[in-house]
Amino acid sequence: MSERTPAPLLAARDVAVRLGRRRVLDGVAIALDRGEIVALVGPNGAGKTTLLRALAGLVDAAGSIAVAGRPLARMAPRERARLVAYLPQGHVFHWPLAAAEIVALGRQPHADPFARTTEADRAAVARALAATGTTAFAERPVTTLSGGERARVALARALATEAPILLADEPTASLDPRHQLLIMEQLREAARAGGAVLAATHDLALAARFADRVAVMQAGRLVANAPPAEALSAERMAAVFGVETVFVEAGGARVPIVHRPL
Amino acid sequence: MHSVARARFPVTVSLAILVLALAFVSLGVGAVALSPRAVLAALCDGEGVSGLIVREIRLPRTLLALLIGATFGLSGAALQGLLRNPLAEPALFGAPQAAAAGASLVIAFGFAPVTSLAVPIAGIAGALASIAGLVAIAGRRASLTVTLLAGLALASFAGAATALILNLAPNPYIALEIAFWLLGSLEDRSREHVLLVAPFLVASWAILAPQARAFRALTLGEDAAASLGVDVARTRLAVVIGVATGIGAAISVTGAIGFVGLVAPHLVRRAVGSDPARILVPAALAGAALLLAADIAVRLVPAAVEIKVGVATALVGVPFFLAMIFGERRALEGAPA
Repeated sequence: MSERTPAPLLAARDVAVRLGRRRVLDGVAIALDRGEIVALVGPNGAGKTTLLRALAGLVDAAGSIAVAGRPLARMAPRERARLVAYLPQGHVFHWPLAAAEIVALGRQPHADPFARTTEADRAAVARALAATGTTAFAERPVTTLSGGERARVALARALATEAPILLADEPTASLDPRHQLLIMEQLREAARAGGAVLAATHDLALAARFADRVAVMQAGRLVANAPPAEALSAERMAAVFGVETVFVEAGGARVPIVHRPL
Repeated sequence: MHSVARARFPVTVSLAILVLALAFVSLGVGAVALSPRAVLAALCDGEGVSGLIVREIRLPRTLLALLIGATFGLSGAALQGLLRNPLAEPALFGAPQAAAAGASLVIAFGFAPVTSLAVPIAGIAGALASIAGLVAIAGRRASLTVTLLAGLALASFAGAATALILNLAPNPYIALEIAFWLLGSLEDRSREHVLLVAPFLVASWAILAPQARAFRALTLGEDAAASLGVDVARTRLAVVIGVATGIGAAISVTGAIGFVGLVAPHLVRRAVGSDPARILVPAALAGAALLLAADIAVRLVPAAVEIKVGVATALVGVPFFLAMIFGERRALEGAPA
């Protein structure tokens, strides 16, 4: 890929998804540029997960989604996987593999069917483990790890692909405050290193603190896509989430604190 | 539980040696007991009565036990990998039941003796029909739940068909013959049986083994696996077809033999770890060893009528499986759903 991409890294227009007869996503347009981290917020059922899955090519979607200027739908699955990493919510591991083996799964899109692990693979896994602070328990079965540790291993797996685009679905859910901050910092670093990150979250304070832009979804539509202060205004919080919000200054950001339901 | 298994290679080699040793024992065991030296001599020159016994009677039986046991083990491990569930077993999609129904039909109304080739051919046809039925009902890109439910429906239908055939059997002797055939045995199977069934078994291995990478990615769930470039729907179809082909063909020759496909992966998981990709070869070897051992055991048990190997695997398999469940209960309950 050339260094100067005229188009944004990821450009989606008019994205619509139907599940059965229900439209869960309708006319969504969103773009991600290199170096930026975008938070995706919205009430339950607004379509955040569906949008992430559509952008990852995991669900059939109408409209156009282009990655690095090329249509996502026409890419081979493995090629798409090298460009777009997807971190689902829940951090599920079905078998007790070692954390390092889980992280190494992130290299699958790079391997040809008969190839052994390459130096590049080993280096990428080591970088992902180091970035997420999981090197210390790399050899432990993931099923024996705590929730915070699992979340970081799951993120390391997504980072190990070293895809330019990272789509993360509630990466900080059910984590303690310190781990929430650590994960968000890691996502921001991944963006600053030249990638683009889109992270769905219910934590509006984290969104305001860490995101360059906040995309707000409501009932399958994108109703705002702007810097945090603008996207998370008191009026919009009331209209979208049905809550009254107060704001505090923290770390140079105007952070919304939800106050009471309206 | 330690999943980082550096010991995998030695385990695989030990299992392979065990399978060969059991195969050799299997050639010497039976109504006429032969010494290892006599077995070797009979295998090499094939002369005299012992040559006839070893080459024509015991070699096909041993090869069938080996190949079919390996197919059970591999199919079980593949299904457990696909479903991310250690309790998945090869009968899940109805192929063995369909194979049994096809074979029963021929025994009942085709006037074929139980050991003729018409029986496995009809069984294989039944298994292939069940695959076609499953794909037709569930569709190529169906979800796991729909596929499982369609498999359950087919299995029940095939079971009902077998019951109907037994019910309509022209005379009680034929019904009895079918019932005995269904118990599962490797007795009196010929070289032709081996040649008939081997291509299907090898084809099933060729379909299942390349899915190893996909099974490992599925550790993360279907969405994450798909995001890593795995075509999950295609993997599912390949496993359904591979398992049905192999197990269907196996059941067509032997009658119902259970539990090997379920137990073999469990046995090796303790030694080689839980990686659903790395477990495939050891599970196949363990399956071969289990079925060979069971088939040797039924020949050693002093009984007026030979115990059918299908009965033996079920009798030994159930308590063994229960013991393993109790042993692993904590690990199973501690693991996320």
